[in-house]
Amino acid sequence: MTSKERVMKLLKGEKVSPPPIFSGMGNVVVPVLDKYGIVFSRAHRDAELMAKAAGGTYKEFCFECAVVPFDLGVEAEALGAKMNYYDDVEGLLYPTVQEKCVKVAEDVVIPADLENAGRIPVVTGAIKAMKKEFGEEVAIGAYVLGPFTLAGQVMELDELYEESFLDPEKIGKILERLSDVIIRVAKIYRDAGADYITLREMGGTSDVMSPKSFRSLIKPHVMRIISEMPRPVVLHICGDTNAIIQDMAECGADALSVDQKNKLAETRQKVGPNVVLLGNFDPVKVLHKGNPADVGPAVLECITNGADGIWPGCDLWPEVPAENMSAMMKAFSK
Amino acid sequence: MKIVQIAGYLGSGKTTLVIALGKEISGAGYKVAILVNEVGEVPVDGKVIQEFGLTVKDIGGGCICCQVAGNLLHTLKALSMGVKPDFIIIEPTGMAVPNAVRDVMKPAAGKLDLTMGPTIVLLDTGRFEKLLSYETLKRLVSVQLKDADVIALSKVDSVSAEQRLKAEAAAHEINPAARVIGLSTFTKEGVPEVIAAMKDMVIA
Repeated sequence: MTSKERVMKLLKGEKVSPPPIFSGMGNVVVPVLDKYGIVFSRAHRDAELMAKAAGGTYKEFCFECAVVPFDLGVEAEALGAKMNYYDDVEGLLYPTVQEKCVKVAEDVVIPADLENAGRIPVVTGAIKAMKKEFGEEVAIGAYVLGPFTLAGQVMELDELYEESFLDPEKIGKILERLSDVIIRVAKIYRDAGADYITLREMGGTSDVMSPKSFRSLIKPHVMRIISEMPRPVVLHICGDTNAIIQDMAECGADALSVDQKNKLAETRQKVGPNVVLLGNFDPVKVLHKGNPADVGPAVLECITNGADGIWPGCDLWPEVPAENMSAMMKAFSK
Repeated sequence: MKIVQIAGYLGSGKTTLVIALGKEISGAGYKVAILVNEVGEVPVDGKVIQEFGLTVKDIGGGCICCQVAGNLLHTLKALSMGVKPDFIIIEPTGMAVPNAVRDVMKPAAGKLDLTMGPTIVLLDTGRFEKLLSYETLKRLVSVQLKDADVIALSKVDSVSAEQRLKAEAAAHEINPAARVIGLSTFTKEGVPEVIAAMKDMVIA
């Protein structure tokens, strides 16, 4: 079986042994950037560089995917938010939204030509390039933000959180419109050639959002988005999500991704044996800061605790040592 | 180098406090670095930076648990090899969970010769009841307060004595172990106590 076949089989709900080691979130790493001479801040805005950076993680380390984009600002920028790419700052900094652009639902204006709005064409260009080069061998992933997380990118956060309580109807209308955007962007990415899409709803984390608020405010929109997205879809929420994991399972995704804060054994117990679970080693403490000897056991522990596929708990932190990437990919070789 | 985190919900006065602390501590002869999510939002212009010898660094955006975590580690390493400040004041986004930021810094502490100072969480004395009553916010605000080593009741100059007492009681109830300080960057009340906590408290 090719790596792509392994991943796609898993996302259909079939058991794959040994489980694939891949991701649906950022997978750009410095050893690849350095080897290919790619400047991080440029890779977000150039389709060829983005494809090389994402594809390099597969080509250099046999990571079983190539995922784009790398930052969390693509949809916001397409809607008119202004980005800071830190071109003049030393070091590796992820782009941020510099100027928000939404106060009311009417401010969410979906460009008629969304395919060519902001950096959407950069992402689709990267997908197409990777598809052409190695699309038969390895699965190509793309991600979109969940509605509440996207709202946090286009609105002032205090307004979002406070108005969610004081005027839920207003926020509901905004989330509805943003859901339309997310569905369309997901379709654009699939049409470009992405094999699977991850819906990243970090804003719904139980670290900051009560389960009650998640259920009333976010879950209905996430369910709608997933029902209208091209499949397969993975739903990821950061933080310890065991309090809402059954709600996540009810959202209808093909797989659930959980981060390192989840006690995975408890997650498995709560969702039962039939939900595809992906996770959940710590990409910073284990892969970035850990020793190579610690990486393999951390990966194996994910399986012991109930994961069907090995994912990092969040984006790969780019400054990961090459030997740790290699150790991760050799976890099942003994 | 000693790291101190200044956390708390949006609008609680973190940035104002960070600037005040930066000026006071650097005025006393210490080297200070300030790490923020968005440098553009910090009202520290070049003159102030030069006059007070402050280093201001951006830890950028992204998901707090990974993208910002990595940025933070990278910046701490650079500071430990370069400027070597006496104090590093971290002001994460107002939506950040302080323990998540602390969890990132702790493993680095031993390797980079860093001392973990206190997490100082600001609670807006005038707004806390409202924030704790919002279903969409109470968890975040409570978690932030529970993670605090010091709870600074901000803007005490603008509320009544009764309101201040209510805020103190709420802070003690949510986090009985935290040191609670009344703070006003306008009148300077509490600033010496916050600085003393920064200097004296070492968190294991």
